[in-house]
Amino acid sequence: MPDPSARRPVVEMRGISKTYGPVKALTDADLTIHEGSIHGLVGANGAGKSTIIKILAGIVRPTAGTILVNGKEVTHLTPSSVEQLGVHFIHQDRLLVPTATIGEAIFLRHEPRIGPFVNHRAMNRQADELLKRYFDLTLPPGKLVRELTTAQQKIVQITRALAQKARVLVLDEPTAALVKREVDSLFGVLRRLRDDGIAVVFISHYMSEIEELCDAVTVMRNGTVVGVVDPRETPIDRIVAMMINRDMAEMYPPRKATIGAPMLEVGGLTLEGAFRDISLDVRAGEIVGLTGLLGSGVKELVQCLFGLKAPDSGTIRIEGEVPPLRSPIHAVSARVAMLPEDRRAHGVAMGLSVAENISLASLGRYARSGLVSRRREAEVVDGLIRELSIKTPNRTNLVRNLSGGNQQKVAIAKWLSCQSRVYILDEPTVAVDVGAKVEIYTLLNRLAAEGAAILLMSSELEELVGMCDRTLVIYRGEVTHEFARGGVDTDQLLAAASGAQPARRKEMA
Amino acid sequence: MTMTDTAPRAARSGLTRKNLGAWAIRLGALAMFAAILIYFAATARGFANPYNIMNVVEQSAILGLLAFGMSVVLIGGGSEVQTGGIDLSLAANTGLCAAVFANCMQAGVPEAAAIAAALVTGMVIGLLNALAVVRLHILPLLATLAVMNIAAGLELTVTQNTVISVSSPFLMGLAMGSFLGISSLAWVFIVFSALMVWGVHFSRTGLRLYAVGGHREAARASGLNVGRYVTGTYVFAGLCAGLASVLIVARLSSSTPGTGQLLLSVLAASLLGTVFSRRFIPTMGGTILSVLFIGFLANGFQLSGVSSYWVNGVQGALILLVVAVTSFARPSEG
Amino acid sequence: MTTSTMPCLNTEHLANYAVLGAFLAILIYFSVAAPGFLSADNLFNLVVNNVVLLAIVALGMTIVISSGGIDLSVGISLDMAAMVFVMLLAAGMSGGISVAGGIAAAGVVGMLNAILITRLRISPFLATLGILFIGQSVQRLATQGGQPIYLTRAEYAGTFNAIARSTFLGIPTPVWVMAALAIAVWVLLHRSVFGRYVRALGAQPGVAWYSGIRVPRNTAMVYILCAVLCGVSGIILSSTVRSYVPLSGDGYLLDAIGATFIGTTLSAERRPSVIGTIMGVLLLGVMRNGLLLIGWNFYWQQVGIGVLVFAVLAISFGLKGRAD
Repeated sequence: MPDPSARRPVVEMRGISKTYGPVKALTDADLTIHEGSIHGLVGANGAGKSTIIKILAGIVRPTAGTILVNGKEVTHLTPSSVEQLGVHFIHQDRLLVPTATIGEAIFLRHEPRIGPFVNHRAMNRQADELLKRYFDLTLPPGKLVRELTTAQQKIVQITRALAQKARVLVLDEPTAALVKREVDSLFGVLRRLRDDGIAVVFISHYMSEIEELCDAVTVMRNGTVVGVVDPRETPIDRIVAMMINRDMAEMYPPRKATIGAPMLEVGGLTLEGAFRDISLDVRAGEIVGLTGLLGSGVKELVQCLFGLKAPDSGTIRIEGEVPPLRSPIHAVSARVAMLPEDRRAHGVAMGLSVAENISLASLGRYARSGLVSRRREAEVVDGLIRELSIKTPNRTNLVRNLSGGNQQKVAIAKWLSCQSRVYILDEPTVAVDVGAKVEIYTLLNRLAAEGAAILLMSSELEELVGMCDRTLVIYRGEVTHEFARGGVDTDQLLAAASGAQPARRKEMA
Repeated sequence: MTMTDTAPRAARSGLTRKNLGAWAIRLGALAMFAAILIYFAATARGFANPYNIMNVVEQSAILGLLAFGMSVVLIGGGSEVQTGGIDLSLAANTGLCAAVFANCMQAGVPEAAAIAAALVTGMVIGLLNALAVVRLHILPLLATLAVMNIAAGLELTVTQNTVISVSSPFLMGLAMGSFLGISSLAWVFIVFSALMVWGVHFSRTGLRLYAVGGHREAARASGLNVGRYVTGTYVFAGLCAGLASVLIVARLSSSTPGTGQLLLSVLAASLLGTVFSRRFIPTMGGTILSVLFIGFLANGFQLSGVSSYWVNGVQGALILLVVAVTSFARPSEG
Repeated sequence: MTTSTMPCLNTEHLANYAVLGAFLAILIYFSVAAPGFLSADNLFNLVVNNVVLLAIVALGMTIVISSGGIDLSVGISLDMAAMVFVMLLAAGMSGGISVAGGIAAAGVVGMLNAILITRLRISPFLATLGILFIGQSVQRLATQGGQPIYLTRAEYAGTFNAIARSTFLGIPTPVWVMAALAIAVWVLLHRSVFGRYVRALGAQPGVAWYSGIRVPRNTAMVYILCAVLCGVSGIILSSTVRSYVPLSGDGYLLDAIGATFIGTTLSAERRPSVIGTIMGVLLLGVMRNGLLLIGWNFYWQQVGIGVLVFAVLAISFGLKGRAD
């Protein structure tokens, strides 16, 4: 392997800063990518990884700093200009045209032709060659993108970049939803590309893969670069420690948990292709954490608990009963509440007022013979606004105008108005500022103290460590770890979620 | 560190079963087409007559031209039907162009200039649609609905709801002439079809148009100017309206009110065409097949003595059938 | 992250008042320029002929658009009701049964829409488009190509008069019907639980679903209600002209959409509302009437209305798009 220091840097980002009003997303960050290397980029959620990549991709403009490509400074990057410089991005959301054939997808905007005719045969032949050369993969030429598996679509994305003679390939979480065999194959390709002199930027949460693949890793935290290390020499624990912010230990309000009867009991739940044989329970007054990487099955599990997806087998018991959870309608009448991850699409309606949102799931409470009693609604809503300290000038203000934290409080208020007993929270404090986070944690404690059962799914590991009585880790479809409060720290959680620790689950009492 | 491969496979969307279903639909559609043709050939007097067949092809020229325009708009607008592209003003636009053309001819304007006026009118209306959809972000269905009424109203003001008779050697030649035994109108259809097949399936612009309609974000990320492509589709549809209007005036030797009635058939042809394509998106081949299908269907009804009022309803029902069936067959996108 | 910036807010508020201002301007203009505009006769005529029927249809359209959908088949519901109403009368049925039959026919159209949209998952646009064309065909077939059914004989006059020509406190019954329906739809849309569900569907259907709202059932109700309202209009129309004229419903579609969207400009968030829609109906009615009086022929009227609706759509969508 060539000596890293002898390789020339092909992309240099120096002193990059990005502020959004008062929020500092990036402060003086540096990122240098050498040719012929695989460079990892790691950091917890909100550490600035995606911001710096978006700046390189020309999607976001930096507030300060310089970018050099091949030694020359570049300004005013746009997605097309960046591609022309040879820097290609393989996004997490597969930006491919679903109805295109493989050949068309690979050669969009660079179609081979004979005179005025697009040469479909050459296009398919070249696509075939590229796939065989780089991936040892043979696919029927006319296959449509939407007929491919996720892994194959990723491969098509990468092949498109390679067909354009990419010099730098930036892969954002490429191995989510890939099985080990496909991951190995992808790694083989990336290594070959590296040996050919191409620079690969590998963004991932999977520490084991970072260790296996990368020559160098840039670690980010809180919008700055904490360090650049060689994973072959620096142990993973040390890297993970660099990622975690230890200053926020005081954020989690203390509580005394009085644990009651089981409110949510899941037994042997299986969903083909997502998770297998999951069993867990959450009792009244308990906050149980749930975490897993993208593709681990944890999202699908949560959807099944709210009636959004039907599991193939297994039981879900709510307060001892087995409700027919065929849709959210049933979940809500079983007094299950859900705070979804996509607040905008599923959590609160941006175009409706605070009051309208809060009363949405419990209108029966405010209505008499089908008509809404605005007076009663106003009383209850104003009360909830006060109780939860929702910052809004009045209850008729549109939710769109509130900050993320307050929007989340409106969502919680909606379920309080419903008197839900089981709360399922999916990344509840994402895009919520620190102050509001503490308030939400206090709220959750209060809910639990009043006897609710809370299942908290989160990828913010400090949150799980700080809030939960127990935390379960899902890895590739199965519950692999269960930690009790005080018995785990964030490094262990991250390691467990990344599969870096051998599976270990306490016996359920 | 050894890790056993316990990970669940990436979800396969039941590919084989869905593929078979898709095949079944396409074969079924073709089979239905063939079956209906055979039925009419057997029961309707004169259906299988070569003159009759040529007549149908000839009549399809006008519908075909318009259906091509509509299909192009559908392709560029995408299959997400809520926000997808559509041009409800196409038939009214055609009527307006015909009125302009006939009026110009009657006023003594030289023929070439009159034809140019028709084409320009069509494209201007198309540009208006494009402005509404691309610049003002109005939903295509609403925008073109409003423009449809503007065009229909303008047509009425130009014609005063009367028939304007027009005749000229060129138009006569267009309507009745023939070359190598095939009528001029049929030639127009054939030539235009060939151009469309090249333009949409074998040119770079066509492929990129499919990308724009297939996944707007992906197209943008690849550097395509989405706005320009969508504008182009509406202007092209307007051009088709202009061309079709010349053919209509030639055929009828006049411009007559009621061109707006064509809208249903045009929509039917373009929407039905999707069922013949492997990807369930509008294609030129599919459009040609549906245009002929509709032509033969109407012709068969006529020859069998079935009231023509059934045709519209049958077309509407077919549209619904096709949409329902293709939305089930299309694998749900994650 | 808040999105308001001063210029944006200004143009929105401007647009709110723009339509109101345009309405007043048009009223004033026609009062001056059009002879006889302000005469009691004309105003009466204006309201009864141009406003009542459209208003009721537009009320239905308002409900549908509030839910985030569209109904292109409003004319069909209107026509079906008129057709069944007149046919039942012609067959000798009593007035009450004929009215009930007409309403039921409209309800069937609404139910068909509902099934296509909620069960077969066809988009509202395509579903109602299909119904529109099928409905046109059905009418042509039932009447041998569009022949109206005239019931001018005295035996039918009783029913027709009761509906269209009777007055109460000096105001024609159809106006009372319109007023009553307007109030009812206002209560439904702005004060009832169902109205909240409809608005949630229109604002963010995903949130409605995740909040446990019965999305299919409420969606179906929306389309059935709209159809029934159009049916009422159809019965009043046929009572007024003492006949069933096929395909008369076609003319209401654009105006109903236009009126609803004119109404949205009254609210900052571009929400449809009953009051806004009524305003829109009045605006359109005044435009038609005024243009007629100052001598614009029918065809230019259509162009004028088309341009007006276009402008309204531009304001409603153009500014909303920027605010997002």
